[in-house]
Amino acid sequence: MLKKTSISEISDLAAQLMGKGALIAPVREEAGFNFREISDAKQVDLNFYNTIISPKSAFFPQTEDFVRYQTGKDILEATPVELNIKPAFLFGVRPCDVKSFEIMDIHFTGTGAVDPYWQKRREAAAIFGYAFDLNTPADGADFYSTLGIGAADPEGSDVFMIKKGDDLLLKAITPKGEKLLAEMSVLSDATPDDLNYFDDTVAAGRAFKTRFTCVEAKPIAKKFEDLFGNTEFWEKVSNACLSCGACTFVCPTCYCFDICDETLFGKGTRRRVWDACMFTDFTLEASGHNPRTKVYQRLRQKVCHKYSYHIRKYGPISCVGCGRCTRACPVNIDIFSIVDEAMKA
Amino acid sequence: MCLNNPYIPMPVEIIKIIDEVDTHDIKSFRLKFLNPEDEAKFKYLPGQFSELSIYGKGESPIGIASSPTQDGYVEFTVQRAGAIVPGLVTAALHDMDEGAKIGLRGPLGNSWPIEFLEKKNIVVVGGGFAFTTLRSLINYMLHKDNRSRFGEITVIYGARTPGLLLYKDELIQWEKRNDIRTVITVDKGDETWTGRQGFVPAVCKDVAPSPANTVAVICGPPIMIKFTLPVFFELGFSKENILTSLEMRMKCGVGKCGRCNVGYKYVCSDGPVFSLAQLEELPRDF
Amino acid sequence: MAISFKQIEDKLKTEAKGLLETGKVSLVLAYGKGYDEKHPMPYAAKNAADAANIVFNEYCAANMARYLVRYPRGTKIAIAVKAADSRAVIQLIQEDKVKREDLVLLGIPVYGIKNFKTGEIIDSKTTGGLYNPVLYDILLGEEVHGQPVNSPYDVLVQYEAMDNEARWVFWKKEFDRCIRCYACRKACPMCYCDPCFIDQNKPKWGEKSPDSQGNLMYHLTRFHHLAGRCIDCGECSRACPVDIPLYLFHKKVAKECEEMFGQAAGMSIEDKPVLVNFRVDDSDKILA
Repeated sequence: MLKKTSISEISDLAAQLMGKGALIAPVREEAGFNFREISDAKQVDLNFYNTIISPKSAFFPQTEDFVRYQTGKDILEATPVELNIKPAFLFGVRPCDVKSFEIMDIHFTGTGAVDPYWQKRREAAAIFGYAFDLNTPADGADFYSTLGIGAADPEGSDVFMIKKGDDLLLKAITPKGEKLLAEMSVLSDATPDDLNYFDDTVAAGRAFKTRFTCVEAKPIAKKFEDLFGNTEFWEKVSNACLSCGACTFVCPTCYCFDICDETLFGKGTRRRVWDACMFTDFTLEASGHNPRTKVYQRLRQKVCHKYSYHIRKYGPISCVGCGRCTRACPVNIDIFSIVDEAMKA
Repeated sequence: MCLNNPYIPMPVEIIKIIDEVDTHDIKSFRLKFLNPEDEAKFKYLPGQFSELSIYGKGESPIGIASSPTQDGYVEFTVQRAGAIVPGLVTAALHDMDEGAKIGLRGPLGNSWPIEFLEKKNIVVVGGGFAFTTLRSLINYMLHKDNRSRFGEITVIYGARTPGLLLYKDELIQWEKRNDIRTVITVDKGDETWTGRQGFVPAVCKDVAPSPANTVAVICGPPIMIKFTLPVFFELGFSKENILTSLEMRMKCGVGKCGRCNVGYKYVCSDGPVFSLAQLEELPRDF
Repeated sequence: MAISFKQIEDKLKTEAKGLLETGKVSLVLAYGKGYDEKHPMPYAAKNAADAANIVFNEYCAANMARYLVRYPRGTKIAIAVKAADSRAVIQLIQEDKVKREDLVLLGIPVYGIKNFKTGEIIDSKTTGGLYNPVLYDILLGEEVHGQPVNSPYDVLVQYEAMDNEARWVFWKKEFDRCIRCYACRKACPMCYCDPCFIDQNKPKWGEKSPDSQGNLMYHLTRFHHLAGRCIDCGECSRACPVDIPLYLFHKKVAKECEEMFGQAAGMSIEDKPVLVNFRVDDSDKILA
């Protein structure tokens, strides 16, 4: 099913979606765009390149409360926080970010223990993917095509959206998407010409190039296994690294978290909070031992996790080439340049 | 939500506290489940661990020191941390009295590979505080229903001083039995000590267990492991037949929080038990 | 007078090569290639051959002084310093984190440096209104003269026009979007505490999760830890992935400090850090 709407009337579509659940879409903020729950349909603005922070926060918010309690009171009086899940529409997600959900699914729900928070939020959401604009070159930091992700890949979305001039084309990709689009009375039917445009754009998106040549997961994984002990290499690539968490916090596939007890005036919450392998105390043990005291060890962990360990454990590279880490880095460290350099080493 | 949520602890009551060592910084806590359904669900094997959970303080991953053959409770031996990193949970636990209620998440991690150990001779080597899950394994193997499943059992256990030996009553019981060889050593004895003196690696060399159909299970401080492993290699033990348990900083305990990886393995869910052969495949990042 | 970035780059390369060749220093902290020209990276040249990799262009905003404390005490280091960077080095010398005799300062007189994230020229907001390094051993180029000399505090006009209530609202809004990545403290040459107060769990000074309470605790404490120490390089603000204008608070504190004690941070190695130096004639204004 292919539908369309005029981009100038996007707030009508937004309003209709808001009538069915939470609408989470890019919103213009001081520093750039970010995904937020929309409170006013007019906030929806598709005039963005990509958001600063990835849409993972829709399923894996920076803080997630597990249990509330009173300090000093009996454990039996503690109350687990019930997840109050309502249908959600994640609107305007770039194809590389859509891909990230699939990668995170393997970790959070596909292997070993099931993370109930990720699972429930994910199940309740419909993804409205949104193609990159093929008429403007990719940002210099992006490299999603290098990882085999097209600029207009509809896979993984429930509904996929492509801009055509002043119109927005919306195609249902999954049954969930079919059902949704059928219910959207503000949408009109697309023409055969629109359908051709849609298909052509998807195809053109596959040919759309970001930087570097394509890579395969397994040889990279092996290369990093061999390079692990090459301290000289790692010291060289991490010389500039400040060991802050900017790259991991904006990343769509970084999933590390801490579990904290935070209390104030007797009221306590046990919650999880995003954590970063780049922080010194991430691996500090109670004994005082810390296997990763040096910056190069921590950057090595981050790069190897995404481009080696994850491949060996779960299959795919844990990176979608969205370029956020590179753009956010205060010292311009670029993860794919490190991969590139490693393959040459 | 609580059901099948791996992050929510089960309530337990401390029913007994045992002061294990003369420095009073290691205590065993015997815990009883407050909900019978939690107890029924808590099926574990020696080598597994749990997160001990105190609201307002946090959680601490601790190896299970009791054996699943011991019904009605589960026991943890906990050292008060804090020399370098303030250990909020272990400190709070040490300040608690019998009757206090805490939280427990588990059982977590893999276990000592019981099926692999069956029909083999077992040499258990422990040093200092790192004897807890070894004790669980020994008590499991010694249980009357299990003893015949294993070959000869040798235990080599050392501590710095006699006062620092854990589970002193049990050590005496084991020494009396003839279906287990118990070799206890201290680095330095006191005036009352009549037993062996010497470091664990030297004692292992002295005891010289045969590698034939034998698995060595070794836990101890890094320095002990470092000098003990060559002894076992020299004796002819293969890397597949040397097992140990790793320690890494853990939080979630179920392979989600990304903290405790060594290469592509998460120590909390893929471990903590690894053979030396498995460890050699992993990067030296622990 | 226009700045020749190419000329500075060539001089940097030559000096770095010479210093490394003669063994006068074991590393040179300067700039190297990034993933494209607009994104150069901090770079540590460790041998004469490395010197050829040094670059310098208008996007080389990074303050290299923050890397000094990463190397063992006594390491002989040459460091490329712009005006604010040289003040950071001076401040670090005052605080005994590095020794003057271990350093060779390669001074860069420059203006028009840009923030590589936004392309915005940084002069008017940070760098303290200075264009020439305050301290150097070798000057790579001519001293800059004739550029408009702004007071470093001009940019505070709008901020100071706000009353306390408005400032509170302003900072609350700004801090609300903080994600606690700590890029600000890591980019800061004066933030070298290990562990940082916010990472301590006993006593626990602030929470880890990015709610307004914890964010306020972290930023306000950090601001005050930098009182009389901030040298106005602006790295904290440029490092911030969500563009919190941290420099405003630092400037305000720096201004108060300068007015109260007559000393700006990092202007002379003869100075003592202003907040650890008690003088009988010190201002009592703060007590009033």
